[in-house]
Amino acid sequence: MKVMKTPRSVDLAITNRCNLRCTYCSHFTSAGDVGEDLPREEWLTFFEELNRCAVMEVILQGAEPFCREDIKELIQGIVRNRMRFNILSNGTLISEEIAAFLASTGRCDGVQVSIDGSTPKTHDACRGQGNFLRAMEGIKILQRHGAPVSVRVTIHRHNVKDLEDVARLLLEEIRLSSFSTNSASLMGLCRYNAEEVQLTVEERSFAMETLLRLHEKYNGRISANAGPLADAKMWLEMEKARQERKERMPGRGCLTGCGGPMSKLAVRADGVIVPCIQMSHIELGRINRDDLHEVWENHPELNRLRERRNIPLSDFEFCKGCDYIPYCTGNCPALAYTILGEENHPSPDACLRKFLEEGGRLPDENAK
Amino acid sequence: MPDTPKPIANSLVVLREEFDDWAILFDPATGNAFGLNPVGVFVWKRLDGHHTIKDILNELRKSCEKVPEKVEDHLKEFIQDLIEKGFAEQESREDLSP
Repeated sequence: MKVMKTPRSVDLAITNRCNLRCTYCSHFTSAGDVGEDLPREEWLTFFEELNRCAVMEVILQGAEPFCREDIKELIQGIVRNRMRFNILSNGTLISEEIAAFLASTGRCDGVQVSIDGSTPKTHDACRGQGNFLRAMEGIKILQRHGAPVSVRVTIHRHNVKDLEDVARLLLEEIRLSSFSTNSASLMGLCRYNAEEVQLTVEERSFAMETLLRLHEKYNGRISANAGPLADAKMWLEMEKARQERKERMPGRGCLTGCGGPMSKLAVRADGVIVPCIQMSHIELGRINRDDLHEVWENHPELNRLRERRNIPLSDFEFCKGCDYIPYCTGNCPALAYTILGEENHPSPDACLRKFLEEGGRLPDENAK
Repeated sequence: MPDTPKPIANSLVVLREEFDDWAILFDPATGNAFGLNPVGVFVWKRLDGHHTIKDILNELRKSCEKVPEKVEDHLKEFIQDLIEKGFAEQESREDLSP
């Protein structure tokens, strides 16, 4: 197994604070909800180590990164240490001043703003009143200043019937080049509000059909690494392979669903190094105390996650007798953990057989 | 390109050694990246404003087996390419000063 000498990219939860409490938020009540923020100096010292490790980019997130009053100083530290950056934001705290600053750095690869609907009704259903207009204004400010902006749409029960209008708003009205989608997953606050926000099997089937059609209509300008669009693409591929009786698909049949630990690391708001923000319960060390290079190369927990790709799906009772084993990756370890308490297990949420048994249907590819 | 200059790497550019002796040169100002094989890495590490092209050639000949006949041309082309990409400069500033 070849592992890079150092991570290429590091996710940084620079704050534990957020001005919103979205009902499906994956952060609050998770292991990443640490109740404290590191002082600026700690981050600035750590950026020097990231520079020495030749890390190429950091992804600033939280909770809400723009809650940090010193975000400009942090970004100046990132620029000084030869990195580029992305920011994941709810978009409601973006001012003219900060947008102008971001654009002026020349190092910002994107500010990803969450937009969950085409109207206040659908967006604000999970994000709180007034936040659609604030987030849309944030996007317009970023666009005005020439700061790169992207959008993530999280699909849930309140917006699943709004996807057509969301696509029209984002791709036609405000003319984004593309946007990405996922769905409310059983993490953080979503665990307590699952009934209200998580898609039912029927809604999931509907979302897959709709997104696949919109993906075609807008020439691939809608993307996904998780959620209904990603599931639709993956599952159609698996079904096709099964019907063609392919022996196996390359890189499938084992727990290969996540390549994160081969190229990425993350840091919680309290400075604890973790494999991924969504797996904040696995503590690998602490910044400015433990050597990042040493953690990256030798931490047994990180190596355990890297080696999961050698675990055959046929080893799991959960997968016994499944026709899709040679075409399946087991999907996200973080979701497997929140559902089952075990990372080295296929994620039940991403199981095609289970989805079909529960009455789910795959999109008709000919009807796109 | 003459032999005497001492090319120097752009200090903003990141040498990212990834697998074995292969590496990426990454320019954070543009986001551009440029793959380097182990010989490229060897050369890059000597673009320090102290080595002339001849110095680098001599070290390369000492360190590597089966050095091709046209190595000098290849080396000059490689360094010129780095200069054109903004990853290196022709001479160290020290040498340019009166």
